[in-house]
Amino acid sequence: AELRLSHQFAPNDIRHKVAQMVADDVEAANVDLSIRIFPSSSLFKATEQYQPLSRGQLDMTVLPLSYAGGQRPEYNLTLMPGLVKDHDHAARMNESPFMQALEDIMAEDDVMVLVHGYLAGGFASKEKCITKPEDVKGMTVRAAGKAFEQMLEGAGASISSMPSSEAYSGMQQGILDAMNTSSSSFVSFRLYEQVKCYTPAGDVALWFMYQPLLINKSTFEGLTPEQQQALRDASEKAQAFYLEEAKKEDAASIEPFEKAGVEIARMTPENFEAWRKLAEETSYKAFVEEVPEGQKLLDMAFEVK
Amino acid sequence: MDPLTLGLLVALVTVVVLFSGTSVAVGLLIVSAFFLLVFDGTRSLQMLPEVYFADLNSFAILSIPMFIIMGASIASTRAGGDLFEAIERWMTRVPGGLVVSNLGACALFSAMSGSSPATCAAIGKMGIPEMRRRGYSDEVAAGSIAAGGTLGILIPPSVTMIVYGIATETSIGRLFLAGILPGVLLVGLFMAWTIFSTWRSGAINLLSPRTYSLRERLEVLPRVVPFLVVIAGVLYAMYGGIATPSETAAVGALLCLLMAIIIYRMWQPTALWAVLRDSTRESVMILFIMAAAGVFAYMMSSLFITQSIAEWISQLDVNRWVLMGVINVFLLVAGFFLPPVAVILMTAPILLPILTAAQFDPYWFAVILTINLEIGLITPPVGLNLYVINSIAPEISLKTILKGSMPYVLCMVAAIVILCFVPQIATWLPDVVMGPAI
Amino acid sequence: MAHSVVSASPSLARRDQPFVLRAIGQISTLCGWFAAALIVVSIFITCHMIFVRFVLRQSTIWQTEVVIYMMIATTTIGLAYVQKLRGHVNVDLVPAMLPYGVRRALAYLVLLLTMAVVATIAWYAAHTWYETFDRNWKSSTVWGVRLWIPWLAVPVGFVLYLLQLAADFFALYLRIDEPFGKGRD
Ligand code: NA
Ligand code: NA
Repeated sequence: AELRLSHQFAPNDIRHKVAQMVADDVEAANVDLSIRIFPSSSLFKATEQYQPLSRGQLDMTVLPLSYAGGQRPEYNLTLMPGLVKDHDHAARMNESPFMQALEDIMAEDDVMVLVHGYLAGGFASKEKCITKPEDVKGMTVRAAGKAFEQMLEGAGASISSMPSSEAYSGMQQGILDAMNTSSSSFVSFRLYEQVKCYTPAGDVALWFMYQPLLINKSTFEGLTPEQQQALRDASEKAQAFYLEEAKKEDAASIEPFEKAGVEIARMTPENFEAWRKLAEETSYKAFVEEVPEGQKLLDMAFEVK
Repeated sequence: MDPLTLGLLVALVTVVVLFSGTSVAVGLLIVSAFFLLVFDGTRSLQMLPEVYFADLNSFAILSIPMFIIMGASIASTRAGGDLFEAIERWMTRVPGGLVVSNLGACALFSAMSGSSPATCAAIGKMGIPEMRRRGYSDEVAAGSIAAGGTLGILIPPSVTMIVYGIATETSIGRLFLAGILPGVLLVGLFMAWTIFSTWRSGAINLLSPRTYSLRERLEVLPRVVPFLVVIAGVLYAMYGGIATPSETAAVGALLCLLMAIIIYRMWQPTALWAVLRDSTRESVMILFIMAAAGVFAYMMSSLFITQSIAEWISQLDVNRWVLMGVINVFLLVAGFFLPPVAVILMTAPILLPILTAAQFDPYWFAVILTINLEIGLITPPVGLNLYVINSIAPEISLKTILKGSMPYVLCMVAAIVILCFVPQIATWLPDVVMGPAI
Repeated sequence: MAHSVVSASPSLARRDQPFVLRAIGQISTLCGWFAAALIVVSIFITCHMIFVRFVLRQSTIWQTEVVIYMMIATTTIGLAYVQKLRGHVNVDLVPAMLPYGVRRALAYLVLLLTMAVVATIAWYAAHTWYETFDRNWKSSTVWGVRLWIPWLAVPVGFVLYLLQLAADFFALYLRIDEPFGKGRD
């Protein structure tokens, strides 16, 4: 059998490597199963993958789950400011009842998780460094994710809902003053060519996005027990790799910025608390208002220590 | 079925269907639906409307109707006539002077738009009727604009360079810079060819029957001021940090409409409606072809034809220049059938690693790739610029447009060859501005 | 290169067309007005966005998304109008060379194939529209528009396009139109 895996990332990206690892290991297991990867949005556009996946028209994907937040508002919790503190916390999150609740929702759409993984991110700005909420006041910002937009707007920033493909020119032209996205995107978009200050994910980070490797559940259940086991084994190995690489990525992202002479700012635990307090009044509040079981899910997420 | 045979089969069916007289967009949809149905089953038909929607679900497509409106409002007022009158008075002694200035205008509009069909539509609306009125053959009038319009994706800003940058994790800023000098080179080649061919054909009668005195030349200038103000406004919006390229297109459209209404008194509803009606018709036609080409690209990607061939090329054990030759032929053929963005998404991630392994510069290659895709825009069966010209100048037949564009295809091939011998044309400017690539 | 599979024959004035064909043509014209209006409105919305962001320095949340959806609607609703104007470009080098009878048969075949694929898209688009409506899907942005609204344009647009194609089919049958715009030599 052959499974089709689509994602939006370039072949150098850690998320492609995770997919490739699973594909290679499954191939090596010799269970008559292969995975064909369509990288760089060459089959489906980034945001258009969840629906075909849930219908079984696409077998697998590596997807920032919050992209499907319009269909399942609960998924917006997977990109919520201040919910995850660091990578080890994220790893505990993956094993928690909170994640189980999300997986139950995914199961309703016939989707299941093979590899859990979170990536962290930070801020980059063309003006002053961004560490605390007051810093973004009056800036025009493009944030990655709805909850971050709500929080930044609460901090007095102007949000520009520019498509990501235009964000680079937006920064270059000075239309945007700051951007908020993942460490790897900062490097792959080469934003160090344009910005004055970079606030990477460090000991604490505000921006964590859940980006699992997903498979259509019925497709998975239709495989032979040997094939399923091969997929599970490959996924387990890939998940460990994903976590290690995700940790390295934050530190590695600093280097090109430093080389380019960009100032590096650090977010302190006090800054983090200030952001989180702001998030409570903005993004968390909006989330609870939008989602019927929202408070319960949010509490479950906070129970993960 | 092996990918090559399958690819040939798809190509054959596509040619047959498109030449049977279906509209281009629907023809692409028919072919896509057929192959999806055969190889992927009925469930894949659900993807037809969804891929259609996803392909149009992009802010960048706004530039198409906006540039068409810019062209149409200039062409349907005296602004167009004045502009070309001024050009004629100043360029009387240059053989093919009007074509040369239209090519210059294509380069200028390319600096304002990231899309080739948009550039082509804007200049074509103004330029083609004027060139024909002043005695140029349909071939030259249509061919030069079809080719000149392709510069839209080479001269920054460029939608395809952005896609290449994201798909290959290269610097978009550097890619934009890399496109500038090759763009100038191409415009130069286009102009040189035009001057040479007009001169050779002895079309001396195309030179103005009289010469103009300096006074006559100067007195026409105030009349082009409104046009220049609009262009300056658009360039300022874009390079002054006010709006992104796609947004700028809307500023341009608004300014052109305001210019037509306020300065050229185009306030009768019928005149305005005529501009809007034509713009709507052309925009819908082009956007429908683009969406259908996206569906076609989805089908191709789904069958893994393009990728398999790219993978096969990447495993060839040959001299680096033979490799480059094979890649060029492959891109050229892919460009016959697929829109530029689709070719980049499907092939760049596969080809780039082997190209860098063979010591080719990824920025230089982006330029080579872009010129190949520009050729694809003016070659059948899927050549978007050909259809744009055909829509804005329905009285010129496709055969004539094709014949007119062919010499310019040769100019592009020449540019690729020149770039192979002098790669610095692409790499020098980014190195100077941004320092050597890491 | 003509502009469509069928093209109005000069020998028959418009008012000689049966009422139904004229009515469908008018619906398609309305579609054209609608599409044109959307284009004009999107100019203003985009300029409004630039103004709000650059001059007022306030958030711009909904504008890009609205403009994108309006472009989707322009394209899809405009299909019928463009069909009526024979504005969908085709390659008619081969049909123009065929003898009249064969050309006529080919025109029928091409129109039927076109109608088949357009109907297929309309059918599945209606499915997707119903799914977005039934499950109340929204776009994953702060603005979070209910997706059935922009999706509505797709089934409606393709059905209207199908209607105009059917009218053209009968116009060909009634010999009001000539195949590929070319009568007997
Ligand atoms: Na351009
Ligand atoms: Na082509």
